This record gives sequence, C-alpha cells and structure tokens, in this order.
Amino acid sequence: MKKAGFKLLVVAITIFSFNSVFAQSPCDTVATLCENNITKQYISDGQNYRALLLDDEIAEFNMVLYGGSTYRFAACSGFSDGNLIFSVYDRERNLIFTNKEHSNAPYWDFKITNTLDCIIEAQLDPNVSASGCAVLLVGFKQ
Amino acid sequence: MTTRFNLKNQALLLSLAAFFAVSCGDDQPKDDSTETVEVEEKNANNTQLLELDGKVFSIPSPIQTAYLIKGAGVTYNKDILNVPSKVTGYSTNFKKAVNLGIYGADLGYVTLYDQTQDAISFLTAVKTLGDDLGVSSAFDMELVERFEKNIGNQDSVLSLVSEAYKSSDKYLKNNDQNHIGALVLAGGWVESLYFTTNSAEMTSNKEIINRVGEQKNTVYNLIKLLTPYYDQPEFSTLVDDLMELNDIFEKVEITYTFVEPTVDVAKKTTTVNSTTTVNISPEVLKQITEKIAEIRAELIS
Repeated sequence: MKKAGFKLLVVAITIFSFNSVFAQSPCDTVATLCENNITKQYISDGQNYRALLLDDEIAEFNMVLYGGSTYRFAACSGFSDGNLIFSVYDRERNLIFTNKEHSNAPYWDFKITNTLDCIIEAQLDPNVSASGCAVLLVGFKQ
Repeated sequence: MTTRFNLKNQALLLSLAAFFAVSCGDDQPKDDSTETVEVEEKNANNTQLLELDGKVFSIPSPIQTAYLIKGAGVTYNKDILNVPSKVTGYSTNFKKAVNLGIYGADLGYVTLYDQTQDAISFLTAVKTLGDDLGVSSAFDMELVERFEKNIGNQDSVLSLVSEAYKSSDKYLKNNDQNHIGALVLAGGWVESLYFTTNSAEMTSNKEIINRVGEQKNTVYNLIKLLTPYYDQPEFSTLVDDLMELNDIFEKVEITYTFVEPTVDVAKKTTTVNSTTTVNISPEVLKQITEKIAEIRAELIS
C-alpha cells in the first residue's frame, strides 16, 4: 500500500514538473527551452524577443551591439534545436552571419570590436515546420 | 486504514485527471520533438508579437553601460541615482513602470560598484514597484533572498537582476501589457544615458563620449517601441521629448565601414571586424546632456 502511494506521489511530481514547462503559453515553452542555450557566463539583456511565424514570414529584430562585448544569440522554435534560421545583417544589409551555414545552430557567439547597429532576421526552416513561435534570446559578457 | 488510503488515492487521481485536462486544453504538442507550435495560437497571443510591420526593437541593457563607466575609472557617484524612498510617490502605472526601469538601472550600477547597502534599498524599491504593477512573480521574496545570499558575487547578482527583468518582460508581454514593458525599457535606457552623459561631463573620456553618440540608433528604436501607445496618458509627452532628443542625435555623425567578419566554427563564434567611428561635437554633447537630464527629471518627479 505504502509503495503504491509513493509511486503515485512520484507520478504526480513528475507530471507537475512536466506541466510547469509545457502548460505555459506556446511562446513561453519555447523561450523556457531556449534559455538553456544562454549559459551562466552570459548576462541576459532582460528582454524576450518573439514572433509567431507562418510559412516564409520573416521576423526582424533591430538591435545595437556594443563594442568590447561578446554576445550570445539563442534562436529557437518548437521543442528541438535547429528549427529556426537566423541571420545577422548590418544596417547596410551586409551579411554578418547566418546559422543556415552551420546546420541551423541554435546559438552563436558574436565578438563585437566596434559598436554595431544590426538587424536579425528569423524564419522557420521550411523543411521542419510551416508555422510556429520564433524566440530570440540575447546574453552578453564583457 | 485501507478506506482512508483509497480516498486519498482517489483524490490524487482526480487531481491528476484535472491536471491532464488543463494540460490538454493548452493544445500543447505531446511527444513529437520536431513539432512546432501551431499558429492558431496567434489570436490568443498576438499582443506580444510582430510589432510594427514585423519589426521588433531592442533596447540595450543598462548594465552594459554601467560596466563601461566603471571600467573607465569613474568613481561611484550616488548623487546621479534616483532616491529609493521616492518609490511611494509614484502613483500612476506610467510612473511606476518607467521608474521600475530607472531603479533597475540604478540597481545594476550600485551592484557593479559593490555598494551593498544601496543595492538592498534599490532592490526594495524595485520589488515595491514590481508588486504594484502585478509582476511580483518576477520580483518576489525568493529573488530578494537569493540576492542577499549572493551579495559579494557580483556576476551572480547581476545575472539575478537581469533574469528578474526578463521574467517581468515575459509576464507583461503574455498579459497584454506590452506598453508597461516598453516603459520599463525606456526608464532603464533614460537612466543609463543619464549616467553616461554625467560621466562624460566629469571625465571627458573618449570611450564614454562615444557611447553617448552610439545611442543615436537606440533612441530611434525606443521611439518606434513607444509610438504605438502615443495616445495613452503620459506617453505622448515622453515620445515628444524623445523625438526632440532624436533631433539632437541627428547631429551626431556615425561612420560605418563594413569589414568581413571572421568565423571560428569550432567555438561557434563570429568576430565582427567592421569599424564604427562616432563624431560628436562638445556642443551636441552638451545639448544631449541637458535634454536627457530634463527628460529624466520629469520621469522621476
């Protein structure tokens, strides 16, 4: 009897933990999973960047990156890595980086020598999904 | 004994069933790891999304500028900070939100300078405003306790504060409070620029002066962020003030030269080698200094 009660308790705790992640809004869930890519040596910029995307829609994030800092971008959609393509451009639309060339890497670091005014474009990988929530998280270290 | 146990089990099973029902109601994908969230959710969450023709505008963290100021050897100056005890005087949501951002920037600044006692005062002010604005989940007692436990470990404390602001940002976006979130960012940015202009005036440090000039695009981003709420009380004054500030920033010359970045695939790192030069005259710096002081004085009054 006691064993059965204990098992039930374990199941309850497991389900509670599962729900605490997945019973959030869809973008929240993606953001929570995406946070794992911003490791503790990076300080969050305190913001959540999100967009719901359909088909080939592109979300555009406008950002200033300060010289002398290293930034980590984590870009996620869905519940696994590699669903989101993100590209970084300068204001003149020169391509700085795209994770498409790196197997849709879910995060990438950027060492900034001089302050950069940039645009980050995010779109779903059409081979993976036709719609979903795109989340971009940014951390920095000096 | 058996009967009591069974009743307990039944209650637990009912709770589990209820939990499953809530979970299923959320329309979460179950076990397909490559599945993405369906766009049908868009209507329920559209307030947090695709602002201004699909563009989202970011405001840099005030902590980064505080790092620069400290790194340049500028001494701690309590006089440039807002006064924590003024927190009870902020009665409108506009003032509460904007000062949540201002106190957050102050908290980052005092933490970097290891001013423990001041940090506690600012954290208390932040918590008060967070509670008032309904974001007490981000600024809760657990945060205060963790903050106190980690005092002396600057990186941990700064991470805690940043994470709390991120949670607050998330909560506000999820609850149709984007305008409040935008004000928190605006407050943090105004306070941060106020620190920077003061430090520039005190030291004439070239790097700090450049950082003032580098705000040219951020003030534009901030205006874009706030403009959708222009018709709401108190927003119009702030946006108008920022537009006047933007007019001054237009006189700052920024020259950008693209240089091919270098990539270290193994370290997943791209080094951005492009160069940016900032040309800001003493007169323009003075005008920015005066205007941001005026805006900030209005916000903290």
